[in-house]
Amino acid sequence: MTSQTHRPHPSLDDPSISIEDVLRESIVDTVPVARTEREAEFYTLGDGELLLNMGPQHPSTHGVLRVVLKLDGERVVDIDPVLGYLHRGVEKLCENADWHQAICYTDPLEYVASLFCEWAPVMAFEKLADVQVPRRAEYIRVLTGELNRIASHALFMGWFALDLGGLTPILWSFIERDEMMDMLAAITGQKLLFNYYRIGGVNGDISHEFMSRLGDWMTRAGHQVEANTGLLNENEILVRRARGMGVLDKATALRMAVTGPNIRASGIPFDVRRAHPYSVYPELEFDIPTRQEGDSLARYLLRMDEIKQSLRIIDQCLHQMPDGPVMAKVPRLIRPRPGRSWAAVEGPRGMYGTYAISDGTDQPFRMRIHDPSFVHLQLVSLLTPGNLIADTMAIMASLDPVMGGVDK
Amino acid sequence: MDRALRSRLERRFGERLLGPVVQRHDETEIRVSAGDATDTILALHDEPDLHFAFLADLAGVDTGERMQVVYHLWSETSKDWLRVVVDGLDREAPRCPSVTFLWKGAEWMEREAYDMFGIVFEGNRDVRRIYLPAAYTSFPLRKDFHLPDDASRSPGRGVRPMEESLPPRDATPATNLRRAQAG
Amino acid sequence: MTGPGHHPAVDPAAAASVPGEDAALPVPAGTTDVDVPIVVANQLWTPASPAAYAPGAKGINEDIEHLRDLEASGILQRDNGRWAAALEVVPTTADYILDLIRANSLWPLLSGLACCAIEMMSTATSRNDMDRWGMFPFRASPRQADVLIVAGTLTTKMAEPLVRLWEEMPEPKWCLAMGDCTCSGGRYKRSYSTVQGIDRVLPVDVYVPGCPPRPEGLIYGMMKLQKIVVDRRGHWPERRTGPTVPAGV
Repeated sequence: MTSQTHRPHPSLDDPSISIEDVLRESIVDTVPVARTEREAEFYTLGDGELLLNMGPQHPSTHGVLRVVLKLDGERVVDIDPVLGYLHRGVEKLCENADWHQAICYTDPLEYVASLFCEWAPVMAFEKLADVQVPRRAEYIRVLTGELNRIASHALFMGWFALDLGGLTPILWSFIERDEMMDMLAAITGQKLLFNYYRIGGVNGDISHEFMSRLGDWMTRAGHQVEANTGLLNENEILVRRARGMGVLDKATALRMAVTGPNIRASGIPFDVRRAHPYSVYPELEFDIPTRQEGDSLARYLLRMDEIKQSLRIIDQCLHQMPDGPVMAKVPRLIRPRPGRSWAAVEGPRGMYGTYAISDGTDQPFRMRIHDPSFVHLQLVSLLTPGNLIADTMAIMASLDPVMGGVDK
Repeated sequence: MDRALRSRLERRFGERLLGPVVQRHDETEIRVSAGDATDTILALHDEPDLHFAFLADLAGVDTGERMQVVYHLWSETSKDWLRVVVDGLDREAPRCPSVTFLWKGAEWMEREAYDMFGIVFEGNRDVRRIYLPAAYTSFPLRKDFHLPDDASRSPGRGVRPMEESLPPRDATPATNLRRAQAG
Repeated sequence: MTGPGHHPAVDPAAAASVPGEDAALPVPAGTTDVDVPIVVANQLWTPASPAAYAPGAKGINEDIEHLRDLEASGILQRDNGRWAAALEVVPTTADYILDLIRANSLWPLLSGLACCAIEMMSTATSRNDMDRWGMFPFRASPRQADVLIVAGTLTTKMAEPLVRLWEEMPEPKWCLAMGDCTCSGGRYKRSYSTVQGIDRVLPVDVYVPGCPPRPEGLIYGMMKLQKIVVDRRGHWPERRTGPTVPAGV
């Protein structure tokens, strides 16, 4: 196993070879030579089976995921997801950055709910550097985090319906999302990749504009949730396409290391906020909605229930928020003592975790990001066989993956 | 910091641990060698007073001298996270037993560890690259793979292979004009 | 012999003047078969490959079995006359109107790769509505799309499929680079697996910086693209790919 500095592509060093030639000769997709047991199992076609490629670009909006389907007629026999079309090398880039800069790289991982992508690393770094976060900052983190969770679930509703063919709910969910993004832009300055959490607190205090927009929105939020769910929950097409589809039972869910709404829809009430509480969640009252059926419809309904719980949490945050600083005194260049730390938060897709190793310098030695969507995508090859092609996207949509996090 | 967990682990695995049980904040860490890894994790999973049945994460680590595989587990019997560090893997040909017999969801996490470090998991049915193209020859997260990052302090600084290997000979005329003017 | 409507063998006065079902095309007096075809010379555009229109050229229904023979026969060049002659001929009113039509109904291809795709979707939905300018239908198939809005980081693994998509799009087509990652590599500038700006692999007409650019920014970029379409400044057959960053930077 040689270790050498890698060039992006060997022939690109030669100026006489143009990039068009390189691309053209590699465009042809062939069935790979099976090197592993699973590849051999997948790429061996039975009688009447065919391989269909659902390429990296497809109308389903989860991102660039390539799915190779093994079909028997229209029934899916097996699925091989091919990842890596969005692999940006975040973990390696973080090793070359400061502790504060590393948080910037984590935002675009689950870009739909990027505050959670910052929260776990920030908690891990604070553990390493022994930084105590002020209580007001913790409440602001919870408040903005739950707002981001609602935004993410609203987008899930839109995507889920869009993958099943409904074009209206995505417009409704973007109306809600745009309002919430405007609120968060009022304090963070950004609509999507917030870069708001810092080691030791948050970047700035909440402003009057934010409070007024939030108050305004909270009066309408309940009705909007009812309207959105009223549009979809009893829609016959959605219900018939989602009920009984992609059933995940408890034992399989535990075996597949599933977290988040996907496991709670299968009957296991595992939520990191209660299983391993962090921040100020022990002081807040909220329920963990759980459903028993484990099918796509249960996953969808569960996320809608979670929106209501998040509204409850935001309400309590607003009432209980203490005064004080929003940022601890942390030096510009921190050098945590050598050690290791792990921190996990409950993101809208599941447990989002960070494992950080410090060697005493001002750069992380290793920054490992555990993303729930990566783990959940394995469920696709487990749950889809036996269904029709059109259900592939429906099942994948109900698992709510975001390819930025899957591919890191 | 769960002291009861520490005593349970020391009692159960005492002779197998490579070093003391380290506890910090809300994490407990034990180190085992690759030969003991399967038995340890199976015991952690099955025994009722430990019952670490939930796999939170599986990661590879390259310390520069050796490779490690790190598991994070959770159990309702303890309020700490448990970290199991399988230490002492050879840097040039790292091999580690797979946990896919317990958690099938670890299959892709092990594929990722292979893709990034080259750690081969024995027992995993599908050890192939997951993020990088199949024909890629390097393992990027190894400490001897240097990013061409001139802002860093790694030996890769100052190297810009992409800009050097693709001169803008086909760029639009305006760019060529700027270059000519710049001399 | 030249010019429209002047043919020595055709005399409008000699046309058959019997109305009813016997009325047919004016037949030149004295001839029963047309051995000199009626030529109406084209003043609007010049063909890129006159051989495609020469007498004796293979028609599309001939037995052409291989794609390379089809390309060599010149038939596919028939529609390219206008574009190749874009700069030599002053665009007529018809061209201008066609460009306006194209500019006001640019159909993007769904090529959202990463976070910028969310902002692109936000631009397409109710609050910032791209449909006001005719850009709403995001086509899933490249064969039906006009604009390739590359929204999100391009990785080396995705570069092949993206260039394939670009090549599958029929001309006229334009490319818009949305987001910092597509303009220059963005925050992944030194990564081992990203393409440092899509202009290394595709000809880009408009760059929209931002991380991610606000929907208003994308709309501004699209309006610049509309201006490019109307001004005929997007010359995709002549555009070369390659990094536009000068050496030494």
